[in-house]
Amino acid sequence: MGVTLIGVSLLVFMMLHLIPGDPVRYILGDFATPESIADLESRLGLDKPLPMQYLHYMAGVFQGDLGTSFVTGYSVMEEISNRFPITAQLAVYSILFGSIFGILIGVIAAMKQNTIFDQLVMVISLIGISAPSFWIALFLILLFAYHLGFFPISGYKGFYSLILPSITLGLGTAGNIARMTRSSMLEVIKQDYIRTAQAKGANLYRLIVQHSLQNAMIPVTTLIGLQFGALMAGAVVTETVFALPGMGSLIVSAIATRDIPTVQGLILFMAFLFIVVNLLVDLIYTKLDPRIRYE
Amino acid sequence: MRKRTKSWLIPTLIFSLLFAACTPVSQENPEPGKDLAKSEIVVAVVTEPDSLDVHKTSSIGEATEHLYATLFERSESGEIVPGLVKDYQVADGGKEITFNLKENKVFHSGKPINAEAVKKSFERFLEKSPFKTNAGSISNIEVLGENSFKITWSEPYAPFFSNATSAYLAPLDVSTLDAQGEGFDKNASAGGQLQLTEVKRGDSVVYKPFEKADWGAKGTPGFSKVTFRFIPDDETRILEFKKGSVNVLLDVPFQYIEELEKEPGVELVKVPDYVMNYLGWNNKLPIFQDVRVRQAIALAVDRDPIIQTALRGAAKPVFGPLPDVVNGHNPAIEEKARKKYAQDKEKAKQLLAEAGWTEKNGEGIVMKDGKPFSVEMWVQNEPVMQRVAQILQHQLREVGIDIRITVKESAAIIEQTPKGGHQMLLWSYGWFDADILYFLLFGKGKSTRLHYEVDELDALLQKGRIEMDPNARYKIYEEAQNFLVEQSPWVPLFVRESVTATRGLKNFKKHPISNRIIWDDVEIVE
Repeated sequence: MGVTLIGVSLLVFMMLHLIPGDPVRYILGDFATPESIADLESRLGLDKPLPMQYLHYMAGVFQGDLGTSFVTGYSVMEEISNRFPITAQLAVYSILFGSIFGILIGVIAAMKQNTIFDQLVMVISLIGISAPSFWIALFLILLFAYHLGFFPISGYKGFYSLILPSITLGLGTAGNIARMTRSSMLEVIKQDYIRTAQAKGANLYRLIVQHSLQNAMIPVTTLIGLQFGALMAGAVVTETVFALPGMGSLIVSAIATRDIPTVQGLILFMAFLFIVVNLLVDLIYTKLDPRIRYE
Repeated sequence: MRKRTKSWLIPTLIFSLLFAACTPVSQENPEPGKDLAKSEIVVAVVTEPDSLDVHKTSSIGEATEHLYATLFERSESGEIVPGLVKDYQVADGGKEITFNLKENKVFHSGKPINAEAVKKSFERFLEKSPFKTNAGSISNIEVLGENSFKITWSEPYAPFFSNATSAYLAPLDVSTLDAQGEGFDKNASAGGQLQLTEVKRGDSVVYKPFEKADWGAKGTPGFSKVTFRFIPDDETRILEFKKGSVNVLLDVPFQYIEELEKEPGVELVKVPDYVMNYLGWNNKLPIFQDVRVRQAIALAVDRDPIIQTALRGAAKPVFGPLPDVVNGHNPAIEEKARKKYAQDKEKAKQLLAEAGWTEKNGEGIVMKDGKPFSVEMWVQNEPVMQRVAQILQHQLREVGIDIRITVKESAAIIEQTPKGGHQMLLWSYGWFDADILYFLLFGKGKSTRLHYEVDELDALLQKGRIEMDPNARYKIYEEAQNFLVEQSPWVPLFVRESVTATRGLKNFKKHPISNRIIWDDVEIVE
């Protein structure tokens, strides 16, 4: 994990210094003079050689300090701690919705293969995957928040305000999971042991849930893990449309303003989360398939 | 098997419930469609300010500036009038000015806005602010009495009064800051009409009216809370306004103006902006050295279709160097420029031909020495300005100039234009004083976008900075603007009309010059 995070930090650092755009000139704006530029560069440590800047930054990271925003003056850790709970809730609710809905319709589609329901599920999942999230978001806002008034249009006001954003993100996830679940289930239900269980008189619940689903879940679990990791990285478009103060909207503004410490800190944090989530997925494998063991 | 199957479901449900339980309930959950509290005004803005600390930022907006009381103010006709400063005396040719503050003014912390507090604020400003060069070359600040202080400059600085009408030079209460002089956001204390009560990063900033501020003839505010909500998406902002969750919608997107005009209960307030949008180019490039080429470009442009099509009519054409709300604007020069540069494609073609662009290629693009007149235009990633770019591309094509449009991030444009990485660009500038012609556009060493530095012009602009007599100063800038109109180193295009939509409010006004909300008489309608 440590090597991965160091690699990520180095890559992000290099990219941020390669792309056009200078945080000092952005901060000073139209009032920049050669003297004020030099002064601010010195104060922000940007006049030092790049390797020194990187080492200085990493020294802070190892002490738990992700630096201070060039633009806002807030500590990056403080910004993350304010925004992470919102993004995390959004990710969890989206995954829950997407997983439950996706697995459910994926299983039913597999059991009703080549029926109209199966076709319908494939079409719906394709729409969920293909439709742009901003379009889904605006559609849901218009119908459920504006016209029907069931939910707030925007802003973070607790769980209630995360329902529409979660559905927005969850639909794409559900589409992917439904398709994977369907194909995985179709593989499993063709196995001999399923035919044997059926011949022995196993009821539908036993057949699907106890014998088929658990075995079909390994590739689905991998997909859920990857989706969850991506969601934890911050659903940028969804947070923007719903005006949610999450990590996704923060990283957009940080990139636009070339706020190097904030971008670095956020990406490092997101990489860390991604690794943790995938670790959890690996652990879940052992529960799903007792034959899997890690040394 | 049954237990194992359920065993991973239960932790998942617990995990999600924990998250729901961990929801920071820092705000009540309003029912959808519930009316706003009757004493609260909610203002929807697009972007969150970088910082509420005016000494740490180069951009301030409505969500920030009402925190501060300025040293001077502008009347609705544009004159500079007393703010916190009651009066002043100029000495030593303008190098020394003694300011007398109004008495009994206090910061939000309750501490007096006296000479000592203003001095300390200035000292912090001169140390930290990106704006510090726009206070002039201050060499000393001396406290003369409880409410009297003297500023000494190494040379006179006439734009100080104009600049002091902005929040950049407004005093803040340094005594509430930490030992490092930081932490303003957490302990904000200034002297403005609005007092900070809460900051929710990425979401909103909440204020309450400061009862000890000056509330004009009425004497008391007509509301008890103002919340600035940051809603970046245009459609979401409009829906919040239409639903009634928001009282004030700043910067109404052009495509919604007509719709909101017809909406019952909605009032639109339109005020011309002071920000000038222009078509500029890198004047150091050989292709732009000939004044006839520059004038030809200016003559090719027709502002009407740009304003009607890209801006839905919500803008005003400008031909001269300064918009009419800017100190130093000269109506005679504006009229002269309008007559000189009213679109005339034939004259533009003639000027190009006189400048040597006599041949044409197969696509109708003029050529000189075998090379076509083809340049790249940078435009920021804003849909309106991209439409403006497309219209200009078409207009310049008609006189034989080929424009290739490149959309770039603002940060990239800001970094690369001082290095001369551009050919043409669509950009903007805005300030309240003619000094902007020096410090941003044409001063020696300061022409970072247009790269047009001429000794004669620089001398005039420098003279304008140190001339303390307003009438004499006006004449200097008249001469400078005449020079610019003749030389045409850029093409001023338009100033946008700032459109604000309100509902449920009475007496909502915006200042016609500074474009700020005037809170004095605003009331919430039952």
